[in-house]
Amino acid sequence: MEHNGFIQEQKTLEGDLNSETSHRNSVDYLMNWFRKQSIFVLAYGTGCGAIEMPPTFTSRYDAERLGIRGAATPRQADVIIVSGYCSYKTLRRIIRTYEQMSNPKYVLALGSCTVNGGMYWDSYNTIKKLEDYLPVDMYVNGCMPRPESILEGFIALQKEIGAGKATAWQKYEDNYEFYRKNQEAVLGKKVEPAYDTDWYLYDGGHNV
Amino acid sequence: MFNKIKSHFATDDIEVKREDLYKVTIKRDRLFELITMLRNEFDYKTLNAITCTDWIEEGHFALSYMLTTLDRKHTFMVQTMINRENASMKTLSHACKQAQIMERDLHEMYGIDFIGNKNLKELSLENWVHTPPLRREFDTLEFVNNTLTFREGREDNVDTKVEMKRLRALKKAAKKAKEDAKAKELEDGK
Amino acid sequence: MENKHITIFHGPQHPGITGNMSIELDLLGETIQKATTHVGYLHRGFEKLIERRTVIQAFTIVCRICVPEPDPNEANFAMAVEELAGLEVTPRAQYIRVMVLELSRLAAQFLWMAGQSGSIGLYAVGQWAIADRDRILDLFEELTGARVYHMYIYPGGVRRDLPKDFLQRVSELLEYMKKRLNDYDDIFINNASFKNRAIGVGVISKEEAIANGYVGQVLRGCGVKADVRKDAPYLVYSELEFEVPTQTAGDVYARALVRRAEMDQSLHILEQVVAKMPEGEVMIKMPTHRKFKLPKDDTWVKVESARGEFAYYMAGDGSEKIRRMQVRGPSLVHAYTLLEDLLVGAELSDVALIMNSLGICPPEIER
Repeated sequence: MEHNGFIQEQKTLEGDLNSETSHRNSVDYLMNWFRKQSIFVLAYGTGCGAIEMPPTFTSRYDAERLGIRGAATPRQADVIIVSGYCSYKTLRRIIRTYEQMSNPKYVLALGSCTVNGGMYWDSYNTIKKLEDYLPVDMYVNGCMPRPESILEGFIALQKEIGAGKATAWQKYEDNYEFYRKNQEAVLGKKVEPAYDTDWYLYDGGHNV
Repeated sequence: MFNKIKSHFATDDIEVKREDLYKVTIKRDRLFELITMLRNEFDYKTLNAITCTDWIEEGHFALSYMLTTLDRKHTFMVQTMINRENASMKTLSHACKQAQIMERDLHEMYGIDFIGNKNLKELSLENWVHTPPLRREFDTLEFVNNTLTFREGREDNVDTKVEMKRLRALKKAAKKAKEDAKAKELEDGK
Repeated sequence: MENKHITIFHGPQHPGITGNMSIELDLLGETIQKATTHVGYLHRGFEKLIERRTVIQAFTIVCRICVPEPDPNEANFAMAVEELAGLEVTPRAQYIRVMVLELSRLAAQFLWMAGQSGSIGLYAVGQWAIADRDRILDLFEELTGARVYHMYIYPGGVRRDLPKDFLQRVSELLEYMKKRLNDYDDIFINNASFKNRAIGVGVISKEEAIANGYVGQVLRGCGVKADVRKDAPYLVYSELEFEVPTQTAGDVYARALVRRAEMDQSLHILEQVVAKMPEGEVMIKMPTHRKFKLPKDDTWVKVESARGEFAYYMAGDGSEKIRRMQVRGPSLVHAYTLLEDLLVGAELSDVALIMNSLGICPPEIER
C-alpha cells in the first residue's frame, strides 16, 4: 500500500532493518550480536537533550535492561549521543572526542536541531546539518524526544548493528577529506582546540 | 531622595516604574558620582546587572546599571548613553567584583571597551573575527546563509504561497462553475 | 617527595560537571592553585534571535534558555511583556502560574539531589530522585502537552484551562511527596558520608555574599533571608503564607539543608494554591499577532527560581518586534566571581561537589 510523505519514509527506513543477511559468516554474526547487546554511551551532554538522558538511563525507563550504560572516557565508549544543537565551540570538542573513540563507534543524533538547525535556524553560532561534519548512524527527532523515543532510537541502532549496516565510522575514514574540508570551512584551519600545555612535563610546560 | 538627586545632578528625568523600581537617566561623566552616592548614602549596595541596548537610529548605546538595596526591596536603574563609534566606559570592577564578568560579556557582544578591566577576553565565542554580534548592523540570517548550508528539501516540496494561490484559484473556479450551472438551469427551466 | 604541577581541564566531556562547561585547573598534587572557568559551549545567540521575532514567536524559544527549569523564563517573559503593554492578568491565571512555578521548583530540586548525590557516589538517591521527578513531569504533560519545555505561560494568562479533576491529582501527588521526602532525609540528608564530605567545604562569608551580588541558596546558606517572593512579591505570593528557611554555616551542607527545607515550603504553598483556586477565565483578550506592538519603554522583572533570583531586562521600541531582552540568570556571577574564588585551596575531588551545591547551570550564563 502506497503511503505518502512521512509514513512512507518511516517504512523505507525500517524496511530493510529486518533483513539480517548482510554479513559474511557466522563469526561476523556473532561479533555483531555481542556489539549490539552491550552499548556504552559516552557521558557527554552536549546540549538541551541532556535533560532527557537521565530519565532514560534510570529506573523508570531503564535503558540498562537493553545493555546500555554510561562510560566516562571516550576510549571505552561505543556511542556518542549528540543531544541537540552544536555550537562551534562544542563541535570542535565533539570532533576531537569522536576521533579519540576506538572503532567500531556510532553516532546517535538526538533532536531536530541536528537535522536542519531546528529552532536555532538563524543563529550565528550553531551548525545546521550535523551530517556534513560527522557521520551519523541514527536520527531521533523531537524537541525534546521522549525517553521512549530515545529507546526506540537505540533499538533501531541495535538492529542496524546486528545487520552489520552501522558502518559510519568506516565512512568517516574513507571520506576523511570531505569531512575535514567541511570542518575547516566552519572552524578555521585549526580544528582541534588549543591545548597548549604539556601535562607530563614537570611544571606544565610553562618554564621549559 | 529624589529631590537630592534632582538638585545635585540637575536632572528631572527620574521615573517610578513600579513601587520597587526607579529609573534615572544621567550624563556619562557623572555616572560614577551618582552610583557612589547611591551606594554610600541611600543603601543601594549591590550591583545586580549591567545591560546595554543598541539604539542605532539615534546613534548611541544605552547602558543601564541595576542597583539593589541591602534589604532587596528596591531597585534603581541608572541609565546613560554612550557613543556607538569607539564606545568606551570606565570600569566598575574596582568597586564591585561582579562587574568584571558583566563588562566582559558586553565587550564581546557589543565591542564596548571598558577601561581598566583586567580580563576582557572572549567569553562565549571562540576566535570570532566578525562584527560583535549583538550590534544592530550584524544581520544574523545573512551570516548564516553565507557560511552554512541547509539540508535540501524533499522532491515533492512546493512553496506554500504558490500552493495556496493555486488551491484558492481552483476553489474559485469550482464555485464559478457551480453558479454558472445553476444560472443555466434556471434559464432552461424558464 | 615533591608534588607535581599539572594543568588539566575539568572539561566539557566529564561526568562530574553540571551541564556543558569546563574549568581549567592548575593543580599542585591534588590541591587547586588557580581555577579559570570556560563557558560558551551552549551559546546560541538568544538575544539576537529574539530581536528578530514578534512576541508570540519569541515565546516559543524563551523557555529553552534554562534547560533544567524552563518555567521561570516563561513567567519572566510574560510579566515583562505585560508590564510594557499594560495588561492585567485574571486571578485564576495567576494562581495557575504560581502552581506551575512551584511544581517546576520541586522538579528542579529533585534534579539537584540527583546531581549532588551522584558527585559523592550515592547513586541510589539519583535513581529515586529522577523517578520522583518523573511523576511531576507526568502532571506537566497532562497540563501542557510536553514534559520538559512547556510553553504554557503566555503574556495575558496561561494557554489553556486545567483538565478535569487535575487539582485532585495534584493533591494526591502532594500527599505522596510528603511521605516520600522523609525517605530522602534518611538516605541523603542525614547520611554520615554526605555529612563527612560536605561539612566545612566551600564556605562563603556573609559580607562577601552580599557585596558581590550572589543570590539564592548561597545567600540563604549564609544567614541572609533573601527571597524575591517575599522582598518584591509578584503574582499572588503576597496572599500565600510561607517561610524562608536559612542556615548560618555557609558551607555545602548548609545549602543542602536550605534546599531540603524549601521543598517542604513548596509543598505547603501548593496545598494553599489547590485550596484557594478561584474560578474564572484564564486568558484575556489579546491583540492579534502582527499588531501586538510594544511601546518604547524598558523594564526589569525578576522571579525566584530554584537556584536564585532570575531577572530579565526588556525594552520595546514601538514596533511589533522586541528591541532588547537581556537575561540575568543566577549562575553568571556564581560561575565566575564565586567559583574561581572558592576553588582555590580546594581538593580536586571536591570540584563536582561544590559546583552542584552552587547550582551552576551553563545555558543561562551564555544564553
